[in-house]
This record gives sequence, structure tokens and C-alpha cells, in this order.
Amino acid sequence: MFFTLIRLQILKSFRSTAFAKSLLANLLLGFLALLLLSYVLGAGIFLRRIIEHFADGEDLLGVLNSYLVFFFLTEFMYRYFVQSLPVIELESLLHLPIGKRKIIHMLLFRSFISPLSVIALLLFLPFGIQVVLVSYGWMGLVTWLGSILMTSWTLHWFMLWFKQRFEDSLIGLLVVFGVLLVGAGSSYMGWYNLGEITKPVFDLALVSPFPFLALVGLVVGAYSLCFLFYVSNAYLEDLSEEENVRFVNQSFGWLSRFGMPGEMANVEWKLIVRHKKSRTFLMLSAFFLLYGLIFYNNPAYKSEDGFSFIFIFVGVFITGIFMIQYGQLFLSWNSSNFDFYLSKKSGVEALVRGKYLLFFGISMVCFLASVPYAYFGWHFLLIHLATFLFNIGILVHVIIWFALWKPKPMDLNKGAMFNYEGVGAAQFLIIIPMMLGPYLIYVPFSLLFNDYIGLFALGTIGILGIIFYNRLAQININRVLNNRYEISSSFRQEL
Amino acid sequence: MIQISQLKKQYKDAVVLNIDSLEISKGQCFGLVGNNGAGKTTLFRIMLDLVRATEGYVKIAGQDVSKTEEWKSIMGAYLDEHMLLAYLTPDEYFETLRKIYGMSEADLRNHLEKFMELFNGEVLEKKKYIRDLSKGNLKKVGIAAAMMGNPEVVMLDEPFENLDPSSQIRLKKLIQKETENSKITFLISSHDLNHVTDICDRIVLLEKGKVIRDLREKAEMMSELEAYFTG
Repeated sequence: MFFTLIRLQILKSFRSTAFAKSLLANLLLGFLALLLLSYVLGAGIFLRRIIEHFADGEDLLGVLNSYLVFFFLTEFMYRYFVQSLPVIELESLLHLPIGKRKIIHMLLFRSFISPLSVIALLLFLPFGIQVVLVSYGWMGLVTWLGSILMTSWTLHWFMLWFKQRFEDSLIGLLVVFGVLLVGAGSSYMGWYNLGEITKPVFDLALVSPFPFLALVGLVVGAYSLCFLFYVSNAYLEDLSEEENVRFVNQSFGWLSRFGMPGEMANVEWKLIVRHKKSRTFLMLSAFFLLYGLIFYNNPAYKSEDGFSFIFIFVGVFITGIFMIQYGQLFLSWNSSNFDFYLSKKSGVEALVRGKYLLFFGISMVCFLASVPYAYFGWHFLLIHLATFLFNIGILVHVIIWFALWKPKPMDLNKGAMFNYEGVGAAQFLIIIPMMLGPYLIYVPFSLLFNDYIGLFALGTIGILGIIFYNRLAQININRVLNNRYEISSSFRQEL
Repeated sequence: MIQISQLKKQYKDAVVLNIDSLEISKGQCFGLVGNNGAGKTTLFRIMLDLVRATEGYVKIAGQDVSKTEEWKSIMGAYLDEHMLLAYLTPDEYFETLRKIYGMSEADLRNHLEKFMELFNGEVLEKKKYIRDLSKGNLKKVGIAAAMMGNPEVVMLDEPFENLDPSSQIRLKKLIQKETENSKITFLISSHDLNHVTDICDRIVLLEKGKVIRDLREKAEMMSELEAYFTG
């Protein structure tokens, strides 16, 4: 029975229309996964040298053990974003005379077969062989590595439960931010040393099997929690996420002032908050606001006069992440209702202008939210202002122009991570103008005069773009109108 | 009101639509019937400029649909759920359309008043997105939306499909009333011969993309169609 179910799963994934259509994309993804895993393995092999480099002369194992907790915090974060839930297949199985518990066991087991489950093993096994085996023998290696693996797998089951239970809810977000804060509080602010608190567990695991056994118990516990939750909620209404109307009155009154485009921006905003994929994109924008923390205070990018070139890129990202991310799939967001806009008078024009309006609005919010970076130096404020102007004056048109190259349909209710629906060659090509564009203008002025003149040039070009907004936007609108038959027929196709 | 001339749609070698000439006059209730694959939906899509015609043209109120957009303000249509914003609630959707058509709130209330019987209390003021509605209620939303903004032409693809029997009768009454009162031109495609012969004063039968019957005599419609479809 169990194997029949597994076989069905395999057939399903091989025979789905998406698989045949995007075989190449799947191969690419598979290759990418292998590549990433091999990087992880590579990092694992050199882990010993890396630690020696940073903490020369100290006890290697002690150092690693004290940093393990940060690995798990990171794992928590990437699992939260990447790990997908196995409930989608449930619908087609529930009505069959197969025990519910069996189905759930199968689904959970299947979710476990994932590259994520071996990352910890690949990363720490080489180190274990190089260091632990030598000083603590086989027993030490098994219990130490076992403890790490069990912690990682506990996270797997815990996350399956957590995401199904709290995803998209305020509590879920708060917990994720809480985890971020716990990590940051320890490493960045130095309030307390999280590593030292959890270090004894892994130190003990080297010489005694108890931590390992306790963690095995924890895995079983997390699995049971997950299993019981799924079994008791194995009804279509619970798991298929039929949403209540949660955002009914969330509309921006001020957008109405811009007429039809304003109304469209309003509707688009509702689209964003009511679909899983777009919500994730929005949330990512919020996370990217923190991007500057990596660069701005980093001694590697300090320079004597002016500032590092890389800051321009960071500024473009911080103030424009939403238009870069959301805009590269420009029309695909509306793939399921594009005919609506076509059948309305000036509907397409209003749609495109509405999106522009939304991009301007959200960029503005990002710019304002990035003002506190002035704490690291006033020039960051200038960088953000210049890149912000450049983003909304020039870059937004460029991104949309590229995104209008053969837009593809996509399902907005699927998750955003590793979901390449709607993505084509154009979405990769966008990266080029996005990276080079600002530098084309900034670098000549910065080299000829100084960095601030470069910023000034960037901002001026941006303002010119804003002045000619109507003409530039019209180019993209005409592109949509000229390709309307191809776009609408490709959107009507099944995914 | 609507002129179609030398209209042809071809996918590679397959000709899916080929209509020499067809005129639909104002205030007519025009029915389109035909078996699956006859080209009904393709014809409607070309008339709405959603699909490009290979040859020929469609004119609505004298304007070629592929060249201008003016005709869109006198045309309302509901073909399928692609024409709805499924992530809004019905109320929000009507509100959005109200702004697009520049109607007042009273206009909207008056308009929806006409549909109260059809909606049967299951559509408005329910906290449910359009995408979560049943197929029947989805259709009702689409039909009510197509008739907003005082259109002169309303195009409905399979309006009776998925509706329960009482809703079908209510919809029929509604269409008949609108043709009488506001001189709206209805274009309706349907597989339900009883309904379509009831309400339409002209029925065109398509087969493999060609017009093979153009029936205008109400008395003979039913028998002619039955004769054709029973083969």
C-alpha cells in the first residue's frame, strides 16, 4: 500500500503538464540544488580551516559548538522560507479507502526527502571525521553528529507544523522576527551570549550519549506533534487554506486621487495582500531593508574619501527591491484576469499606470524607512535619495520593458520560494541593466570629479526620468497593447 | 449595431472560423448555437478583440474593434472567470467597476437592485472572495458585471450553464425585460435550446466555423434546431 502511494506520487510529478513544459527549468533547478549541496559539502570539508583562520589557537570544537546555535537559527529561517508543505496532494487521496493516518505518514515521509534534510550532515560530517573522530573516537562522532542531525530534523518537523498552523498569521511573523531578534541580540548587540548558553549540550554530546538520546526523543516528539496536527486537520476546508476575508477594508483612500490608475493600484494592492506568492514578495522587501546592515558598517567597504562603489548597488536594492522583485513578473500577476482589463476601455493603460503608481508608493515607503541608516553616516541618506530617484525615474521603466518580453502565466496561490512559474529568460536578463544601469551614470562622474558629483548625476537623471514619466510609461503601455493577443492567449493556457 | 465581414480565424492549417458576413441590429436578442468546437467562443473572443482575427473585421457601432477602444464603453461581456477579479469580494468588485464606469453609488444600487432576485441573497454582503464562490454564483456575478454601465451590447457565453433551474428562469426574465426596456442588444451562446429559442428573436447555428443556419422565425426555430441536433 505504502509503495503504491509513493509510486503514485512519482507518476504525478512526472506526468504533470508543468513538468513536461518546463523540463529544462526542472533540470536547471535540480542542477542548482546539486551545486548548492556540493558547495555545502565543500564548506564542510574546509570548515576546519575556516575556524582555524578565525579562531587561531583556540579549541576548534569548542568554538564550533558555541556557534552551532547560530547555524540552527539560520536553518530555522531558511526552512521557514523554503520548506514546502505536503498538503496539496491530499485532495485526490482523501476519498479513497486508505487510512487517513497512512496517507499522512506518507505525506510527511515524502516531505522529508529533500536536500534540506542532508545539509547539516554534509556540513558537519567532514569536520567530524577530521576533528571529532581523532580525539573522541567513533562513539563521540556518532553522538555528536547525531545530536546535530536530530536538532536539524526536529526543526524539519517543527516547521511543518509551524507553517501549517501559523503561516500568514501575525503570530507566525512575530515568531520569525523573534528568532531574528534573538540571533541579532546575541551577535550584533552583544546583550548576552547565546552560543555559550547552548554550548554545553554539544560539548556533552561528545562524551555521553544522553544529549543524543534526548534529541532523538525530541524528533519523535516533533514528528508526533506534526502528525497529530495533520491527522486531526485532514479535511479539505482546513488544509486547502480557504481564506477568510481578512483585509476587507484595507484600501488606500489617497490612491483614489489618481483617478483610474489609482483605482487599479488599489485593486493591485488587494491582489498583493490576498495571494501567498505576492505576500512573500512583499515580506522579502521588508527584510531587504536590513540589507544595508551587512554593508554599511563593514570595515571592508570603508574608503578614505567618498564611499565604496558597492553602496550604490545596495542603495538601488534597498529603495527598489519591491519594483525589482514584483516588477520582473509585471503582467504575470494578472494572468488569471487579464481579459478583464482588455475588455475595459483604457483598462490596460490604467493597469500599467496603476502598477507604476504602486511601485512609486512602495519605493517611497522603503526610502523613508531607510532614513535611519543616516546613523552610519549622512552620505547614506544621499545615496538612498539618489538611487531612489534613479529607481523611480529610470530603472522602473527598464524593468517593466524587460518584463514585457513574453510574460507567462502563474498561479499566485503557490509559495514564492523556488517557484519558477512565470519566470523566463527575460527575468534573468533584467539583472544586467539593474546592476549596470546605475553604474553607467555614476562611475564616469565619480571618477572625473568625485563620488558626490556621481550621486548628483544619478539623481538628476532620475529626476529627468520623472519629468518624462508620461512618455516613458507610454512606451511600455504601447508594448502591452501591441502584444495584447499573444499575452492574453498565453495567459489563458493552462499552467 | 454589429457588422462582421469576411471574418476568418486560422491556426496553422486549421480554419476554426469563417464567416462571410453577419449583421446584428440594435435591440436584437441574438442567439448563437452549435456543437463543441463550432467556434462560438472564438467568435465572441474576436468580437471582444481578445483574439486576433486572421482576416476580416468586426465593427461595433461602426468602429473596427481591433483599431479603437471607444466601443468598449458600450459593450459589456462575460465569457469566463478570466474576466473577473477573483481575489475581490463581489461587493468590492462591483465597487471597482462602479469607479471604472464612473457611476454614482445610487446608480450601482439601482443596478444591483435588478439582480436581487437572481442573486437570491447569496452574493452580496457575504465575506467571501469571488474565487471561493460556487460556479453558479460566479456566473451571476459575471452577468451582473457585464450589464453594468448602461451598455448597448451585452455578450454572454453560456449564461445558463451551472445555474439552478429557478435562477435560469429568473435570468431569462431579466434578459427579456432588459431587451424591452433598455433596447440592449444581447449576444448569447448556449447549449440549452429551450432557453435560447425562448428569449432570442434570431438564432445563428455554427458548424465548424461556418454559419449554416440563420433562423429568424420564432415558430420554426425549435423544430429546425431539433432536426439539426438530432442529426
